[in-house]
Amino acid sequence: MSEEMKIAKVMDLKGLPCPMPILKVNKGIKEVEIGQVIEVWSTDPGSLSDFPSWARTRGHQILKTDQNGDVTRFYVQRIV
Amino acid sequence: MDPKTREDLLKLFQGKLNEAMTFYLETCTRCGVCIEACHVYASMGKVRYIAAYRQEIVRRIYKKYFKARGNVWPSVGDAKELNDMALEELYEAAYSCTGCRRCMVYCPFGIDTQMIMSIAKLLLVGAHSEPEILTLLADTSIEKGKSLDIFKESFLTGIKKLEKDVVKKWKMEAGGTPIPMDVQGADLLFVALAGAHSIIPTAAIFNAAGENWTLSFFEAVNFGAFVGDPGRTQLILDRIVKEAKRLKVKEVCICECGTAFRVMKQLAGKQPFKVSSVTEVHARYIKEGRIQLDRSLLNGVVTYHDPCQIARNGDVIDAPRYILKHLTNHFREMSPDPKYNWCCGGGGGLVALGEETLDFRMKSSKVKADQIKRTEATTVVTACENCHTQLCNLNDHYQMGVDVKFLSSMVADALVQK
Repeated sequence: MSEEMKIAKVMDLKGLPCPMPILKVNKGIKEVEIGQVIEVWSTDPGSLSDFPSWARTRGHQILKTDQNGDVTRFYVQRIV
Repeated sequence: MDPKTREDLLKLFQGKLNEAMTFYLETCTRCGVCIEACHVYASMGKVRYIAAYRQEIVRRIYKKYFKARGNVWPSVGDAKELNDMALEELYEAAYSCTGCRRCMVYCPFGIDTQMIMSIAKLLLVGAHSEPEILTLLADTSIEKGKSLDIFKESFLTGIKKLEKDVVKKWKMEAGGTPIPMDVQGADLLFVALAGAHSIIPTAAIFNAAGENWTLSFFEAVNFGAFVGDPGRTQLILDRIVKEAKRLKVKEVCICECGTAFRVMKQLAGKQPFKVSSVTEVHARYIKEGRIQLDRSLLNGVVTYHDPCQIARNGDVIDAPRYILKHLTNHFREMSPDPKYNWCCGGGGGLVALGEETLDFRMKSSKVKADQIKRTEATTVVTACENCHTQLCNLNDHYQMGVDVKFLSSMVADALVQK
């Protein structure tokens, strides 16, 4: 994935319960440039609905979501 | 602050002035009974944390703009202008108050500081000076209600993965669904928090009781209420009400989340379903003989922390004690009793603000830590996510050496498989 898409930052949020993943990713996305992509790992089942909703409200884009066992990987592009 | 902003904020203020609020703003006699009632003042001893002082910050603005004397002769009665400095004071007052309403039960007039602080929070929202995190979380919740189809499939996949853990706690007959979703005609809609810890134990208990239930797509917590925005609070609430009506359930059961329960119970209005806390539902199962619990699992003294929004503000006091009687022979009440129980110090959005408020939360809740220590309990049980997080933080900070547990998890762990 990282070869196809340049990842500016990886955030390991495994084990964090809701709402921490959203709070962390909201902060983390501000630390990369507009257009760059962050890769976020989460085990919180709520992230599967929280992340798309958060991205829509804040104008960012989730490019891809991979699920591997209990871990979900989100690839989020900073748009604004 | 420019005149247009002030005008807009005063319109918001005006909108809060119903009969009850006017009574609260005009009645305080500064008798001082509330001084020791606030856990923040009792722990930190600073005048600005006295309930009447917090109220006074709002009250003086009220006098300035809504009372003739305050407008004409502001120095009498200390009428105060609404400006940027006033907003800072409103922030300090509102976000150091957990809305526990302990002061209200001491006040001889029953003045509701939490209601008065709702004006402060609304003005902060209107001025875009509220904690951004709370608005972010509220907006995320609202967006979920608008775009369920976008995340529905992935959420179902995530929930499916939790089912093996539910079955570990309660074995089901072949063909059963450990976590039913979107079931039309279910008797009970369970509204959980997003985390697995909120879903798995209660799912096992529902299955053990043979409940005809279904899990909500939405999380229970209402960040709109934390940030004090009535519009956002209602939109978040409406998602669950619509889902409950669509599925035609008879009962909406709210997980261990104090604010979620209070908001659904008190603000949903008249609906074709009843609203229960998960603690009330679990107590009912025991009374009806639908679940049996093993009382031999717990060693040491067990005490219970009443979440303010569920006990003092939600009147669920007997149910947790009934459950605990079936879990242990060594239950010990805290003192003062539930109506006057000290707040954990994490409510009102403070826990959701995380590390930002940790130092204040620890300092302002020393009386809570002392209250727990006096019980000599080794296990502290509660039924609210915020309280649980705060009590865990207090346990670390004050080295209390207790186990902090959710009541529902204890029930699930003690289920006797027939």
